Amino acid sequence: MSDITLQGLEKRYGETTAVEDVSVEIDDGELLCLLGPSGSGKSTTLRMLAGLETPTEGAIRLDGEDVTDQPAYDRNTSTVFQDWALFPHKTVLENVAFGLKMRDVPTDERRERAQAMLERVQMGGYGDEDPTTLSGGQKQRVALARSLAVNPDVLLLDEPLSNLDKRLREDMQIELREIHDDLEETFVHVTHDQDEAFTLADRIGIMNEGELIQVGDPDEVYENPKNRFIEGFLGDTNFVDATVARTNGEAVYVETELGAELILPSDGAHGLESGDELTLSLRPEILSIDRGEPDAAATATADQRAVTDGSTTNAVAGTVANVIYRGSTVRYSVSIDGASVFAERTDASSGSLSAGDDVTLEWDGEDVLAFRADGSRVSLREP
Amino acid sequence: MTSNLHRETVETVAFRAGYLALFALMVVPLLVVIATSFSDGARIAFPPENLSLTWYVEFFDSIRWLEAFTSSIIVGVGTAALATLLGVLGAFGQEFDDSSLGSVVAPLVLIPLLIPPVILGITLLMYFNEGGLRGSYVSIILAHTLWATPLVYFVMRSVFSRFDWQQLDAAHDLGAGPVQSFVHVVLPNVKHGVFVGALLAFIISLQEFVMALFLSTSTTQTIPVLAWTELRQAMDPMVSVVSTFLILISLGALALAVIATNLEWVSKQLS
Repeated sequence: MSDITLQGLEKRYGETTAVEDVSVEIDDGELLCLLGPSGSGKSTTLRMLAGLETPTEGAIRLDGEDVTDQPAYDRNTSTVFQDWALFPHKTVLENVAFGLKMRDVPTDERRERAQAMLERVQMGGYGDEDPTTLSGGQKQRVALARSLAVNPDVLLLDEPLSNLDKRLREDMQIELREIHDDLEETFVHVTHDQDEAFTLADRIGIMNEGELIQVGDPDEVYENPKNRFIEGFLGDTNFVDATVARTNGEAVYVETELGAELILPSDGAHGLESGDELTLSLRPEILSIDRGEPDAAATATADQRAVTDGSTTNAVAGTVANVIYRGSTVRYSVSIDGASVFAERTDASSGSLSAGDDVTLEWDGEDVLAFRADGSRVSLREP
Repeated sequence: MTSNLHRETVETVAFRAGYLALFALMVVPLLVVIATSFSDGARIAFPPENLSLTWYVEFFDSIRWLEAFTSSIIVGVGTAALATLLGVLGAFGQEFDDSSLGSVVAPLVLIPLLIPPVILGITLLMYFNEGGLRGSYVSIILAHTLWATPLVYFVMRSVFSRFDWQQLDAAHDLGAGPVQSFVHVVLPNVKHGVFVGALLAFIISLQEFVMALFLSTSTTQTIPVLAWTELRQAMDPMVSVVSTFLILISLGALALAVIATNLEWVSKQLS
């Protein structure tokens, strides 16, 4: 159990910067997920935490003690590797006992502790097996047991689930979370899988191009992404290019390729001027899709509506281009004046639509996120 | 179709015949040498007139031959140990060096193999004279190591290229220091390669003649050196007996190496 401080952590390889100015505090017993696409520097950050890489700049503190230059073998962190890196020349039990052997734990005691740890991960009967004969899921469990057997201050997980198939991965996520809650140890988990991060994490740190862009609770980063990259990375959304037509104290009015002028309700904190280029994010879950033309009230210009009834609803007419069944939901791709937007709903919610149907898409302008051309989020409301 | 098949058969037969001829060309002289060692005459003759073990008895009675045999073993084992140590560590270190210096080192290691052994022999003789090592086992071992190290190095480079280096990370991560992780994790994974490298070094040393001729004295001369001196005096079948031993030792070492690499291959297939 330990808290961790990363301060201005940086890693350069010659000209390339793998990790740039990463600072974060990880609480004792917390499960932090570093989430990002491949090459975002999340694994390098984890390796620096493990002591397998030396930072070019910055500092790492474990429980307040500076461990920046401490090699991996002097640091009480433990890593579960992506390919598990089990020792092929040792039995499963010897693998799990290896860390204890290096800590000069007597033979009998380390066999006992390794066996107990194997049972902890439901691999008790496999002690004498050759690890190369195990399945991916079993190897993953053995690697986890091997790392936990040394009682690490911090457990580091470097995409250990990414080589498992979907079903097994989801089971293991829940199991990992249970093990974490049971041990109350600090875990840092690296993944490129959003679902995994949301399932596991107390907090999520999102990395891109070597930088840690945002750290926060799962719902916080999802509801309140700091920039366009995060919004695109965390889930499927419709990005729509927009140009600010004009602004007033109640709203920003934008012109888009969807044809109609759209309302973004705002208290004026945005600092936008007419002519500014924006990208709007219309998530499929905020769009309601219904058969038929928009009614008269909705087809009135945005300006009229806002003035008349203070409505922040936007509505556009389109045609269903194609329908994709995705198990519990159906995804409709709707073409609107040549632009394409997708919406989702559960199939049972109303009569199914098919390609060629005229539909209306409606959404509340309050639910739309807007980003500037440089990717930064526009704050439409005073925080 | 049939004529085609016919042509292929002819080609295959021709290829095999050529291959066999080449093989015979290389092996028959060895068989001749072995056969002449069982002669009882005073001169080397093929085919031997009478089969006997006379010269084998002679060999085991001859102190000079037994001493040369001992010298060869001492030098061979010494070379194998030193060249393996240097070659394995060199190849291991190279894995962690991605600087431009590293790409220069690999070709440099080859240089001793490219210099004619006569020149190496003379140069080393002068060099060891200065250092007072002339005629010692150490001087011959060092000379042979110059030749054997590059071979061990290249064998180990290829072995290390197949090693899963994440295992080394895992070992460090679990608290194994540099020496512990090398002994407990790296070495067990490459031991067959190390074994093959050491055998190669041993065989190189066993058959090396030119440098040994320059560097040895009558007390440290190796088998090839003594064989050469003896040949100049008399062409008796003792030389054949010694050659037979050398051939058998080399074949034995080769067989061990094949078994070791095959074991490695088998274990690779199973994993």
